[in-house]
Parts: sequence; structure tokens; C-alpha cells
Amino acid sequence: MPDYDMGLHLLDRQIVGADDRLVAKVDDVELTRGDDGSLTPTAILVGAPALLPRMGDRMGGWLMRMFRLTREAAADRDLPLLIGMDLVDRVESEVRLTVPGHGRLQRMDRVRADDRTRCRVGQILGTPVVCDRLPRRSKVLDLRMLGTPGGAGPHRVTSLIVGPDRPGALLGYDRRSEPGPAPVAAFVQWLHRHARVVELGRGVEIDLDAGEVRIGPEASLLPLRG
Amino acid sequence: MKRYFAVLLGVLTAIGGFVDIGDLVTDAQVGARFGWSLTWVILVGIGGICVFAEMAGRIAAVSHRATFDLVRERLGPRVGMLNLVGSILVTLLTFIAEIGGVALALQLVGSVSHVLIVPFVAVAVWLVLWRAKFSSIENVLGLMGLALLVFAVALWQLGPDWNEVVHQLKPTSNPGGESWQTYAYFGVALFGAAMTPYEVFFFSSGGVEERWTRKDLGVMRANVFIGFPLGGLIALAIVGCAAAVYLPQGIAVETLGQVGLPVAVGVGKIGLAIVVVGFFAATFGAACETGLSVGYSLAQYYGFQWGKFVRPKEAARFHAIVLLATVLAAGVLVTGVDPIMVTEVSVVFSAIALPLTYLPILVIANDPDYLGEHRNGPVANALGLVYLVIVVIASVAAIPLMIATSTGQG
Repeated sequence: MPDYDMGLHLLDRQIVGADDRLVAKVDDVELTRGDDGSLTPTAILVGAPALLPRMGDRMGGWLMRMFRLTREAAADRDLPLLIGMDLVDRVESEVRLTVPGHGRLQRMDRVRADDRTRCRVGQILGTPVVCDRLPRRSKVLDLRMLGTPGGAGPHRVTSLIVGPDRPGALLGYDRRSEPGPAPVAAFVQWLHRHARVVELGRGVEIDLDAGEVRIGPEASLLPLRG
Repeated sequence: MKRYFAVLLGVLTAIGGFVDIGDLVTDAQVGARFGWSLTWVILVGIGGICVFAEMAGRIAAVSHRATFDLVRERLGPRVGMLNLVGSILVTLLTFIAEIGGVALALQLVGSVSHVLIVPFVAVAVWLVLWRAKFSSIENVLGLMGLALLVFAVALWQLGPDWNEVVHQLKPTSNPGGESWQTYAYFGVALFGAAMTPYEVFFFSSGGVEERWTRKDLGVMRANVFIGFPLGGLIALAIVGCAAAVYLPQGIAVETLGQVGLPVAVGVGKIGLAIVVVGFFAATFGAACETGLSVGYSLAQYYGFQWGKFVRPKEAARFHAIVLLATVLAAGVLVTGVDPIMVTEVSVVFSAIALPLTYLPILVIANDPDYLGEHRNGPVANALGLVYLVIVVIASVAAIPLMIATSTGQG
């Protein structure tokens, strides 16, 4: 897997320890913003506090409130468990760790959770996109990555996949030309015909406080396939 | 030699384990009311389960991933959760029906109310799921399930008018004079019973449990393409027996005893004894499969350790869920709810839940990341697509037909 898409290839995959024990699912991924503005995956997040916010703004918020109510006295109820990205050996159809899974998940501390240089992939996915050249109600559909978890060389977000939020994005047909049931592939590709890839850099601003991604005229929008 | 034995054992257990309480009840009801005219639905259903079980088995053998793993990856956490809730409800309903079925089978022997037997059955199911080896459960109960072949012997002994049978095979024959809405409702129920989602959850998870590899693809395909259709013959024999005994009298099937009665008519007391053993094996085996499937689905959605291939203490959460599901099923049944009614509802809700189970399997079966050179060819894709359309039609039609026919009352 040379480069990959975060939502399609890493989120929701099974994590397996070096001892073959099943650990958890990749419920979310922590990104850390560098001084140059680059976004680097630094940890896999696990557990209800990582998964429930991904259920959507309204539903996710409600589920998280319910989850906190199950143990109101706990101060760390909203903090997910995490595994450092440096412990990932490789990503195939599952995420393999370099170490046994037993006792490997650690609770994220409050300082790290409140760190403004860190965010989650789940916060960026689904964020509305403001851009004159895209259909209204376009959103961030996925994050395209350079490098691989556990691989040599840089590993960071290079671009965003943006477009109207339509079903079937995770089936993968919108960005590959692999054989499949042709009618299903053609239908999904048609649904996502307006999706584009935009490289992070000049003209692209991810503003999580305002809850939007702004794409200016200087940024180039490339077709998703080919 | 060992390899041939493995193939034979796999095929035999696939035959013996094919039928569960949903098939037993629905097949007999359909035979009694529609004769052989819905045979085509059973054949279509057997074809469908073969197509998708082969894909799920292939994915399990090559990538060591079970079905619900794939559901969340390909549908995302939100739709995956919706699917999880739907599948768990349907599988739990089926689990309740299977435990009730075991109790009803034992009631045929002991004449003690099934409500009193349920707690003992639940404890026995849980003990087996906790202590017994996966392969022992599958092999012992699968082989005992072969006792249901007595339906085929009974059909032969009953000696129906084969010209009339051939006439009834025509889908439009409608020998019972039922309305077409009722015909369609039972068609959907039969299809749901044949393709119930827990079958692929269990089949693919079983592949991971038994550590299938690419070398096991041949054995897996033999199980599916020989075992399942031959198991389907038992379903047809049940339809035939009910059609021979009940259809001419206009009698509806409402109890498990009525399902087995044609065997007593055709083969006598020994046949009845054999069919009760078959009922017990089929329902107990399916109770184990559905109980495990509840745990499989939840564990595979959330990613925690599951399965009987590790010691119970290593998969404590999985076993706790199975225990909880067993207590819940027993709790529902001791209220006196009719297991046959639960079965009727479960097969229809199975039909509703089908598309969200089978679409991700079809998609992953095409993904080279998971399957490499073993991904679907054009034939598997064409069949998968045809069945996907059928599954969607059955799913959409299920609820309106259920309302329009007052759950098949006509």
C-alpha cells in the first residue's frame, strides 16, 4: 500500500497484536499539526469516546452525553484509549502492531486531549467545504495520505477528497478502476462524479473552530480517478 | 485419505446443519397451504445462500476476516451500527425461536410443557457454547441432523401422486386457493428462512475459528456447493410431506408436532423417534450457531477478541455476551410466548435485514486488498448482482406484505 486514503484503508479496520490477539477497531485517528501546518497521524484512538462522535453531530453528541451519564463521577469518561502510531507494524486488511496487544491501550491524558495542535480525523471528515467550484453542501469525504503507518519515510496528510456527501464512498469504487460488479461500480462512480482531490497548501484552510474548510481560487481541484 | 474424510464430514454436517426451526416451520406451513407451488423460492434461496456463503467463506479463508468485520469497514460506523442493531435483533429472535424449538422437540418426548423445559435447554446451550470445542459442536449436531433425512423416506412411503406434484411445481398452480398476497408473503418468508443473515455470520466466523487458509478453499466449496443443496432437499421433503398429508384436508400447520406427524404417518413410530432426534439436533445446533452469532456480530463490530479458538478467559466479553443472550432468550420464552410465532416473525425480519449483510460481502469479494487473485470472477459477480436485486426486492416487500396479510393469515 504505497499511499492510502484514511477513511477507506485505515478507519474501522481491525487492530491485531503481534501475538495474534484481536485488540480493537480503529475508531478514530489523532492528527498532530506541525509548525509548517502539515497534519501527521500520531495515534490510533479506540473506544466509545472515539467512536460515538463519528456517528454524526446530533446523534454522536447525544450518544456521548448518554455515555457520560453511565458514569458521571469519572473525570476521564470522554477520553479515548490510544495506541501510538509508532507501534503500528503494517496495514493490510488489518492493522498489525509490532507488540503484543495485551495491556497496550492507554487512556489519553487531559493535557493531550486539550492540546490545540491535535485533532481527530473524525472531526475533519464530514466538515462542510466552502468553495465556488464545488456543488453546494460539499463536505470532506476522506484524507489522502503520503507514506504508510509503520513504513519508512514521511507519513502525513497530503490532500483532501471533497464533494457532495453521498452513500457508497467507503465501497471504494469512486477512486479505483478495479473489477467489480460493474453496475454497482458504475452507480457509485456516478454518485461521486463531482468529488475532487484538493492538495493541502496554499488556498486550503481547515478551520475546525468555525466548522468549515475553505478552498480559495488558487487551490487546484483534481478529478478523483485518473 | 484424511482430506477426503474432511470433505465428507464437511458435506455431511452441512447437510445435517442446513435446516433450522425457521425452515422446519415455514416449509411445513408452505407445504400445507401451497403444496409444491413455492418450490422455486426454496431453490432460489438455496442458490442465494450458496453464492454468498462461498464468497464469505473465501474471504474468511484468504484474508481471515469474518463478515461483520467487513460490514463496518465498508458501510462506515453509522450504517454499520444500524446494520448491527438490525442483525442482532433478528439473530436474537432466531436464537429465541431455536431454544424454543429444542424445548418443543423435547416436549414431544416428555409431554412436559415447553415452558418448564426452556431453562434446562438454555443452561445446556450455554454450557456447550462455553465448554465444547467448535468442531465438536458442528460435527456432532450436524451429523445428528442427518436424522431429518427421514422426511425424504416418509415422502417416498406416503407415495404422493407424482403427476399432481409435477403439476403443483408450476408457480401459478396455487393448489390451496390462497390469495396472491399470502403467496408472496410466504415466498418472502421462505426466502428469508433460506438466506437468514446469521448463516453467513456463522459460516464466515466458523472459517476463522477453524483457521481456514487458501488450501481449504476446495473443502469449503464442497461444503457449500454439495452440502447446502443436499440440505435443501430436506427442506423440499418437509414441504412434500406436509403437502401430501395436510393440503388435501385443508389443515394448517401450527405446532412442531404437526411438522413431524407426516413422518409418523409414512414411516411409523420409528420414523417419529428419528424425526424427534432430527428436530432436537437441528434446533440445538442452530441455537448454538445463533447464540455464537450474536457474540460474533457485536465483537466484530467493536473489534474485541471473540471466538472459541481462544480460551474463554481470553474472550471474556464475547462469552459474557453469549451468556447474556442466552438468559434473555430463556427469559422471553418463560413468559409463555409461542416459539412458532417467534419463528414466523424472525424469518420475515431476516428478509428485511438481508441487503445490508450481503452488499458488503459482494464488494469485499471483489477487493484485491483482501482477496488478491481469489477475488470474484464474472460468474460470481453476475450471480451476486442478480441475488442482490432479489434480496432488495424481498427486503422492501416484507413489511407491506406482513401488514397486508396479517402475518400470513390471509
